[in-house]
Order: sequence, then structure tokens, then C-alpha cells
Amino acid sequence: MSIVQVTGLRKYFDAVRAVDGVDLAIEQGEFLVILGPSGCGKTTLMRMIAGLEKPTAGKIHIGGEDVTDLPPRKRGVSMVFQSYALYPHMNVFNNIAFPLRAQRRELKFDKRAIREKVENTARLLEIDMLLDRRPRQLSGGQRQRVAIARAMVTKPAVLLLDEPLSNLDAKLRANARDELKDFQRSSDITAVFVTHDQIEAMGLGDRIVVMSEGKIQQIGSPQHIYDDPANEFVATFLGSPSMNILSSDGFRFGFRPEHFLPKTLNDNPDNARILQYYVKRVEYLGSDRLVYGYVHGHEDKLTLAKVPSNVRVSLDIEGDYEFAVHNSDIKYFDAVNGRRIEQQNLARAL
Amino acid sequence: MSRRALPAFPFDNRRVVGILFLTPALLYILLLVGFPFLLAIAFGFSDVTVGDTDLNFVGLQNYMAVWENDVFRQVFETTIRFTLISQVFILIFANILAIIFTQDFTGKWFARFIFILPWATPVSLAMIGWLWMLDTKYSPIDYLLLQTGFLGPDGILSNNRNLFWLATPDLSQISVIFVQVWRMTPLATVILMAGLSSIPTDILDQAEVDGARFMRALLQIKLPLILPIMVIALLFSMITMFGDMTVVYVLTRGGPVDYTRVLGLYSFQVGIEGGNLAQGAAISLFAFPLLLAMAIFMLRTASRAEVQ
Amino acid sequence: MALLAWILHNFWSLLVACLLALVGLRIVWRIHKYGATRDELAYILRRSPFYLLVLTFCFFAAAPFLIMFMHTFKTDGDLYRRPQPFVFRQDPTLEHLDALFNNTAYLEFIRNSVVVGIAVVIITLVLSLPAAYALARLTGRWGERAAILMFLVYLVPPTLLFIPMFRIVVLLGLKDDPMSLIVVYPSFTVPFSMWLLSGFFKAVPPELEEAALVDGYNRVEAFLRVVLPLSLPGIISTIVFTFTLTLHEFIYGLVFIADTSQRTLSVGVPTELILGDVYFWQPLLAAALIIAIPVGLAYNLFLDSLVQGFTMGAVKG
Repeated sequence: MSIVQVTGLRKYFDAVRAVDGVDLAIEQGEFLVILGPSGCGKTTLMRMIAGLEKPTAGKIHIGGEDVTDLPPRKRGVSMVFQSYALYPHMNVFNNIAFPLRAQRRELKFDKRAIREKVENTARLLEIDMLLDRRPRQLSGGQRQRVAIARAMVTKPAVLLLDEPLSNLDAKLRANARDELKDFQRSSDITAVFVTHDQIEAMGLGDRIVVMSEGKIQQIGSPQHIYDDPANEFVATFLGSPSMNILSSDGFRFGFRPEHFLPKTLNDNPDNARILQYYVKRVEYLGSDRLVYGYVHGHEDKLTLAKVPSNVRVSLDIEGDYEFAVHNSDIKYFDAVNGRRIEQQNLARAL
Repeated sequence: MSRRALPAFPFDNRRVVGILFLTPALLYILLLVGFPFLLAIAFGFSDVTVGDTDLNFVGLQNYMAVWENDVFRQVFETTIRFTLISQVFILIFANILAIIFTQDFTGKWFARFIFILPWATPVSLAMIGWLWMLDTKYSPIDYLLLQTGFLGPDGILSNNRNLFWLATPDLSQISVIFVQVWRMTPLATVILMAGLSSIPTDILDQAEVDGARFMRALLQIKLPLILPIMVIALLFSMITMFGDMTVVYVLTRGGPVDYTRVLGLYSFQVGIEGGNLAQGAAISLFAFPLLLAMAIFMLRTASRAEVQ
Repeated sequence: MALLAWILHNFWSLLVACLLALVGLRIVWRIHKYGATRDELAYILRRSPFYLLVLTFCFFAAAPFLIMFMHTFKTDGDLYRRPQPFVFRQDPTLEHLDALFNNTAYLEFIRNSVVVGIAVVIITLVLSLPAAYALARLTGRWGERAAILMFLVYLVPPTLLFIPMFRIVVLLGLKDDPMSLIVVYPSFTVPFSMWLLSGFFKAVPPELEEAALVDGYNRVEAFLRVVLPLSLPGIISTIVFTFTLTLHEFIYGLVFIADTSQRTLSVGVPTELILGDVYFWQPLLAAALIIAIPVGLAYNLFLDSLVQGFTMGAVKG
């Protein structure tokens, strides 16, 4: 039984279809990441789960109960906003205590229980020495912890996080990511995390939901959606630099730059596709060389190759080379709708 | 600036352009407010009248005379009483209205137009409407009360056919306060609306997710967050009210007797109508320290609330 | 005229009918859209106290204006003999409106107010546009101090200044001349519009001016060509509110100008349309209403813009 069940969910803002038919089941205790470019509807989806937006159509069940028409406070969810939305006029203690006090009647807390819960949660997030401070006096990382503590203190069924790491600087962010993942695992809470950052998504998610134009493109483990993308959008959205896509008769095929290597490096040339490659420019990235060039017969499309620096192959500018890709690393897509086609079905599709 | 050479590109220099842009306005204001203000103080120490405009200094004589005048004492007290009482109601109504008008509802545009009218109408013209509403003989309010049995031979409020809104000591004061609240609530409301609409939506969403109902979100989140702006709104309407003479000029001219005479009107009546410029200036100057203290206190409160 | 008579005869029933019709339409529309479910009906019921509250406030705000409207068209007989202020026993008449425009100085008051208003708006803009920009962008600490000074000046009420101002006006030979008002009114319109405008200027992203600076304009040109056009909506609302401030002003107008033909609306109507203790009520009330409605509309139209400028102006820049 999944903890959150979303069926046929739609949200139209006048003519804009922010969320356009989403079905999604979120399992108890998992860390689910909703990934997509800005404007893909991921935040709207989350706000509907939280109860901040009323769906145009569709149903939301949380813990088996239909919550579609319930206000946020009746849903057993909590949320961490991108801005953290700490109440600026309250100190950290009162910030964390706020949801407990607001739901005091439903949850039957007395004053002592509130103090105890706030202090426990604060200790868990290592902010127990900051309880008397105001949000203004906290660093970015501390604010984030306070926001998470406030969201966790009521022991919600689902914790919703709306890009909570994007306000931190790069160094802090990696650290915060680790802590968040550890914290989620140890507290066994169900987390739904919205982001446009694929590295964050890959690093955090047990499962990733890739969204675009209000629709779910693919759901799966990070590895699954990277290696086995359902369509051209998912294939090109994940991975940096992104997958090379070339056109052929009636279909398109793609391969990742790190799978596109000089033929001499290929251990199994029989099972690989050989392409004539003209090198235009080479960038040294330290561990890798990023090669820009054109595949023979596809001069309209810049094609990239990512060659490890430690292999001793010289690649000269304006030189022609034979490059190879394993057949299993080539993905085929329908030229019209971008859907993935299995290689064995290719002939039939054409 | 005189001894230092101008920078090579004067119109590119922030300082130069800043001074250039700010000076005309500052000069105009200082001339137009600062000079008369000093003159007012000088008048207060002199014996200048409309007929005899020579400034002969007489020291504190005017201030002493004013302070020892019973009428002035009463006027001063009335002004403060009117200001304080009306502020209480203005704040209450303005808060309610600001909350109403920051929500979406059908017919909001029209409702807002209606509720803005008292503020948009030039005060003196709106007062003509009230002069009729509160007329001694023809007041439509009295008519309604008469029809509903509150007035008239067996009336609950009075056996008379009229209440004499502007002609009895208590009612005239109540009327003036009511009308002031009526005309100044919209301004305070608009200022509070500015405050409410500047609260980040994230904070309000967060409060909703945290489980706060309407009243809790209002009392614990919204109102504390707009407290500094509320102080500013209060300051604005207190100062407007304290310096106002238009309402009583049109409605009562200070009557009956002195019951609705306020400082501004009194100073006008003594200084301009009575021709005693010196004493008129002295009267209005009594208000200044009070206004200044009020402004400083409230701005302090506002900025302290903001720092938290 | 027949239509007007019919409207006025049935004024209150029409008003109530209109309100009920609007409420009814709205409910029907909602039920049409969301269906007559129990939730929907409960929602409508839950919302009704809110609308009742709005209606109550509106009634208090509008009452004098409704009375003004009705009484404009009442004959003397209807108004004074056994008064029944809420109904028409005699047919409505336009004679008082006619008298207001043809037998009184009302049109002159309007003309004077408009002339003073426009002149003050121009002076105010010339002075406050650059000054507000300086406050918003160019000056550091002392600019902030200047801003606070301006705010304090705005708080000095006219009742404190009108006596010395009167002396100055007399000395300058401007007594009974609307010119005196044109000179004096900027003393409160300039601080007000500086404050509002600097709010609007702060809302313009500084990168746009910086781009203009890099593109070859100097600061002054960047202000004229980039900031001003971008803040046009704000400037228009500043103009509207400055104009109405001059329209509202009473004390200076009363003190400086004693000559009927030179008086402005706010002073002229309550002083000149009352002869001793004889009140010409219908023209008086009409005169007030005719000004109230357009100003109210203008306020409502530009209110959002005012709120925005106020909010930005309050943000420390």
C-alpha cells in the first residue's frame, strides 16, 4: 500500500496546463525526487499534494484516505519551502513549535510535550543551541535545518521539500545533501523532493520522477532512468554533457559522450557500431578530454565524445578518426514522438 | 564641492548627479517649510497682527497668555481626545478592511470603489454630505430613528423629533469623531494593505501547511509581521487628525460653545479671523513638540520592530 | 428624464433589487459551474457572513453619497415640507443642477482647481522626479537622512504653517491670487511624490541602467531614457494622487484667497454656496457628489499602483 496515491491529477491555470494528467504512487519510507526543467509543473504537483492548490481534476490519497478536498492541516503532510519561509518575528524555538501549537487540538499536546518535542527534534538536527535566536541571525545552512526541524516535529506522514538546497552555496549544498539523505534514512520518513538539478536528483532519490510539460516522462531508480531512458526527453535531460542524438531514416539514435570512444579502445569491435569522426576541438577537463566534432554523414549536428585522459590516444584537431559505440549503448527513438524503440523492434517500426 | 575640482565626467559621477538631482527639491522644501516654520516661532514671540505687521518682540507673553487661557486648555484637551479615540476605531476598522480587501471575492472592485469614496472625496465636500446627514432639523438619520420609534413623542432615545447631532455637547463630539473615523479609515486601510501584500506568500503557505487556521495565521503571523507598517499608518492618521480643522470648520465651527473646537481651528479663528497673527502662531506652535515627540517615538518603534 | 424620474422614485427598491440580482446571478453561476453539491451549498453559506460584512462597511461608506444623489433632484417642497428624505413625493427636478452650473461660481471653482492642480503637478514632477531617483539610487547615507527629513516635513501639518505662510503671501502680493496656492502646495506634494516615486524607481532593476551606462549613456541620460519610461505607470499614478492632494487641500485655500471668483473647489463650495445661514442644500450636495465620483474612480483605478509604490518606498534601498 503506497502512502501517497495520485490519480489523474490535472491543474489548469486558465489556458496553461501546469499539471496535465499525473498518476503516481509514493511508497512508505522512500525518497522520491521529482525532477524537471522549470515550468514543468513539478512544484504545482507538490503544492497539490500539500493542499495549497486545488486540482482541476483527479484525486489524491494519503495513507489510504481521500484528501483531495481537505485543507493542508488535515493531510498529515509538512513542507519545506525554497525560501525556508521561517517566521521572521519568532525565535527558532517558536518557529519549530508553531505547527505543534497550531495542531494542538488535533494532536493533544500540552506545553511540556511541546517543549520536549521541539528540543528533541532540534537535538536531532544539531540546532539545539540556536533555539533562542531569530531567523535573521542564522546562516543559510542553519536556516535550512530549522525549516526541516519545523517540518519534522509533527512526525508527518510525508515530508515535501521544494528545492530546499538551491539557496545554499555549492560547497554547503553537497554537505547538506548527504545530511538530508542520512536523516531521511534514519528517521524512515517518506520524502518528496522537487528539484531541477539532476545531480541532486541522482544523489538523493531512491526513485526519480522525470516531468516535462505537466506530464510524467519516466519513473525509476537513478540508474534505470539514466541507462534506460523511456524517451528522447529523458535521455537528453539527464547526463552532462547530454546524449548525442543523430537522425537516421525514419528514426533517431543516440549515445552518451562517455560511450563514444576511439575504435582502438573498444574491446569488442564486432559488437559495436563504427562511425567516422572529424575532430574539431578538444577541451581538457583534467580527468577527461571533451571532444567536439562531427560524425561523417551527420555534419549538421555537433557530436561530443568524452575520452578519459589516462588512455594514450592522440586526438588532433581537424583529424579524422574511427570511433565506436557498443550496440547496447545506442538508444533508438521514434522520429515523430521521441519514444524509445528497442533495437529488435526497429525494423518493424520502420 | 567648491574647492575640489569637478570629476572629469560629472554626469557619470553618482555623487555629482545625486547632489544635482536632490538639491532643487530640498531647497524648495526648506524655503517653503523651514522659513515659515522659523517665522511661526518668531511670530509667537512678537505682537504682530494683521493690522500692525511690525515685529515687536514681547518674549513669552503670547505663550503665557495662551497657556493661561481656559478656552485654549479645553481646545488642547479636545484635540488630544478626538485624536486618540478616533485612532482606536480607525485601527480596528482598517485592520478588518485590509484583511477583507487583500482577499479575492466577487464584486471586489466595486466594493473597493465604494469604500474608498470617503477618502477620495475632498474633505470639505464630504463634510457637506455629513452636515446634511446630521442636520438639526432634516437629518435623514433622525428620520429613520423617528420612523423606527427611537425618536418622537414616545421615543426611546428622546421625546423630541430630533437628536440635534451637532448641537449638543456629547453628540457633537461623538459626531465629529465618527465622521473623522469614517473619512480616515480608508487611508489607514490602504497602508495596511500595502503591508499585508508585502508578506511573502511562502510564509502564508507555510503557516497553512503547519496547520494554522485563519485566526491563528492572522494573530500570530500576519499582524505581527505588519506591526511596523501599522505604526506608520497610525502615525499618518494621528498627525493628519491632529492638524485637521476642515471637518469641524464645516460641521460645527467649534460649537456648541467650545465642545468641538480643535487646535487648528482655534489658531485659525484667533490668527486669521481675529487678526491676531502672533497669538494664532503661538497656539499652533503648542502642537509642534507633541507632534514631533509622537513622530520620533513611532518611527523608533517601527524601525525597532523591523530590526527584530 | 423620465427614466431618471423612474429610477429616483424607486431608488431603494431598485438598489436592493440590483444587489439581490447580483448575488443571485453569482450563486446560479457557481452552481452551474460546480453543481449543486452539498459542499458547494455549504461553501456559499460559509461565505455569506463575509459578504454581509463587506456590505455593511460599504453601506456606511456610501450612505452620505446615496443621500447626496437623491437630494440633488429633490424640489424644495419635497425637501423641506414634512421631510421624508428617502422617497420622492414630488417629481424629481434638474433645476438645482442647472442653478449650480449657471447661477453659482461652481464652474469657476472647477477651473481654478484644475489650473492650480495642473501647475502644481508640473512643479512637483520637475522637482521630485530627479530627487526621488537620487534617493532611490544615487545617494548613500546623507541621501537616507534627506529622505527622513522629507518624511518629517510631510508630517508638519498645514495648521502649523498657515499663519506665517499667510504673511509671506501677503508680502509677495499674491493674496487672492491662485498663484499663491501654486507656490505653496508643492511644500506637501513634493515630499509625498518623492516618497512614492522613489518606491517605483527602486522597482526598476539596476542592471538595466548599468547596461545603458555601458552602452554609452551617462547617468542623467540613463535616468531619462531607461528609468523614466520604465516607471511610467508609477509616474502616472503619482500624478493622479498629487493632483487630488491639491484638490483636497482646504486650509491654505481658505486663508490665502478671499475673492469668490478665485477660490478653489474645496473652499469655494462650502463657503460660497452657503449664504450666511441659508444653505442651498440641493446644489451643495450635488457639487460635492460631482467631484466625489470621478476622484473615487481615479483612486480605485490607481490604488494597486499606490500600494505597490508605498510598499517599495518602505523597503530600505
